[in-house]
Amino acid sequence: MTVVSDSLSRPALPQRRRGQATRPGLESERWHGYLFIAPAFIFLCAVIVVPLVKAFWTSLERTRGLNTIFVGFDNYARVLESEAFWNSLRVSLSFTALCVAMHVAIGLGLAMLLNRVVHARAVLRVAFLTPWMVAPAIGSTVWLWLLEPQFGVVNYLFSAVGLIDSYKAWLGEPSLAFGSIVAVDVWRGVPFVMLLLLAGLQTIPVEQYEAAGIDGASPLQQFRYITLPNLKYFIVVASTLDIINTIRMFDIIAVMTGGGPIGATEVLPALLYNTAFRANHFGEAAAIGVLLLILVLAFSVLYVGLTRTHAQEGSR
Amino acid sequence: MKSTRSTLLSGIAGGLALMGAAGATAQTADKPIVLQWQTANLTEKQFEPVWKEMVAAFEAANPGIKIEPVLVARKDHWTKFVTASQARRAPCLVSVDLTTAAYNGYLMALDSYWNAEPEAWRKAWSDEVMKAARWQGKLYGVPIWGGIYAEIYNKDLVTAAGLDPAKPPVSWADYMTWAKALTKDGQWATAILGGKTDTTTRVLLTWIYSNGGEVFNADMTEATFAKNPKSLEAIKAYLGMAKDGFAAPAPTTTNYLEQTVMFAQNKIATMRNANWAIAKAEEDNPALKGKLIVAPAPHQIPNAPTLKTMTSTSIAADCPNPEAAWKFIKFEADAKWSIKRAKVANWMPIRSDLANEPEIKSDPMLLTFLKIGENAKPYPLPLPIWADIAAGDIVDAVQKALLAPDTVETVFKDLDAKINRKLKDQ
Repeated sequence: MTVVSDSLSRPALPQRRRGQATRPGLESERWHGYLFIAPAFIFLCAVIVVPLVKAFWTSLERTRGLNTIFVGFDNYARVLESEAFWNSLRVSLSFTALCVAMHVAIGLGLAMLLNRVVHARAVLRVAFLTPWMVAPAIGSTVWLWLLEPQFGVVNYLFSAVGLIDSYKAWLGEPSLAFGSIVAVDVWRGVPFVMLLLLAGLQTIPVEQYEAAGIDGASPLQQFRYITLPNLKYFIVVASTLDIINTIRMFDIIAVMTGGGPIGATEVLPALLYNTAFRANHFGEAAAIGVLLLILVLAFSVLYVGLTRTHAQEGSR
Repeated sequence: MKSTRSTLLSGIAGGLALMGAAGATAQTADKPIVLQWQTANLTEKQFEPVWKEMVAAFEAANPGIKIEPVLVARKDHWTKFVTASQARRAPCLVSVDLTTAAYNGYLMALDSYWNAEPEAWRKAWSDEVMKAARWQGKLYGVPIWGGIYAEIYNKDLVTAAGLDPAKPPVSWADYMTWAKALTKDGQWATAILGGKTDTTTRVLLTWIYSNGGEVFNADMTEATFAKNPKSLEAIKAYLGMAKDGFAAPAPTTTNYLEQTVMFAQNKIATMRNANWAIAKAEEDNPALKGKLIVAPAPHQIPNAPTLKTMTSTSIAADCPNPEAAWKFIKFEADAKWSIKRAKVANWMPIRSDLANEPEIKSDPMLLTFLKIGENAKPYPLPLPIWADIAAGDIVDAVQKALLAPDTVETVFKDLDAKINRKLKDQ
């Protein structure tokens, strides 16, 4: 059947003649194609591949200022033996897990709210997106002063409403500092997830909710059996992208705590920075960078896999 | 046709080449030497008028040299310098942690330039000061200005507490008596620095020195924060003020900025700081002008040393114009600019021949600081890993001890062990 319709739709030229006549042209077009993508390819090589290779090569060297010696995988061994690395990995993973869970939970709630709201929808969307629009370094500097123990607004407000009995050093005690950093990242990261989930919510046909309403489904049941299954792909994609974004978070920590107190907020990028620019151990810092890259790549591969599976399901 | 096109293209190319060559010749002939200059304090408001005037004067005196200041926040100063050095594009003139930079090969040895200068000029710097500008016997910078650490009191708060501002504390016991009197609701005697910068370490060292303690053995091969009983005693006394409630809360987030802001807002009555903190406090709160008392840090031994930071100007290892750079260093080190830096920006002169200058002698605050600084130990300490341990390991130890005051001894024993491992590993 397919063969017939295919042959019927073909123009008059026989396949063999066409092939014979155009083969040199096709070859030439293929090379033209390569030529067209060459500038982009060279640019990507220059800004991604070359630095990656250089970073990996640096991770195999011991650096003393301008002098380097090849040490093989010794830097990796030193990093993996150091207490600071394992502390940073633990801080990074707990920071990422907590932040992503809260981004998704709060982002989903806000997305559902914005999806239902009728009045001032545009104003509310812009308002909720504002933290995402502010440069992280600027937002962090503002938070640094809001959380300042003596003059900060947070202590003043919490104290005024009776939430705390004495002013807290939000960034001065390990558990409070970790919690504060998570809170600031949640403030910054929720809009991104909210935006993705809002787009997802708008793809769910209204008829499904109407039919469920006629069948007597409660709002909770509608959420459980309509919203969540329809949003599954969006939630997974948003979470994966958010993990990639959060695990390499540096700006908030660099501005607010520098990784302290006593390493309580020293995520892997902060450890990398401190190793490179405070301890001047570029080889070890590059090794940390490579290990961080492997961690991020694992989630990137997961993301690519998920989007490919979804695309294949959609095309069936 | 092809021949005409080739001729035309060749003509255009030839013309462009000639224009380029002529332009290049003209540019080389007129182009001054441009020296980039990077120090941590160019972005600080109090210093701006002095350095701008100095650069203009230098360029007027040396028409063939142009100074291009590199404005960078103090926090990013070292990062930017290291990145530029690694790319072999470091600014020719820099003021950085001299030992660490020299150890890493980022600086040029200046002995040939220094030795070629007249002896009378060289004698303006004491041997002790010049020793701190050397690494492994070679000179890597010329000391330009410094900061002398002392105790700065708010006269109004002292008087209000019933204390005599003319008789500031001499010993630790006196200081603790004052601390008790100066602490009341919403006001504390002082602030303990425990934030993640090396100012935490600087103030800690002043306490250790004031008790006759040391943080390294004589040949700098072993850390003695806990091993030296005098050092440990000083650490316990200083950090103990947090436990006793004499110091402002949240010391683990307190750096120079927070300390001076609290002082300017009358939240703390005294601060252990250098002369530049006075300019900052008075700028934040002009009502403090003329109401500050400066005295030597309370001490437990006679003639106890304080701490004197030293900022030297160096030449980057890859500087293509070291002669021009040396000219600028000599100009910057001139007595005229040393005095201006001291009078306008509160950067203390390092040259020992300036104490008798009329402009210095007429300023009682400056004279007090210079007098206190007569017996001071240079900072940073001459160790390649000093920058790392001063802003990292020592700060971590202070923070740990502040958060768990009963563990001070263990924490500083661990610090000694950690530093010793790093010393062996460097």
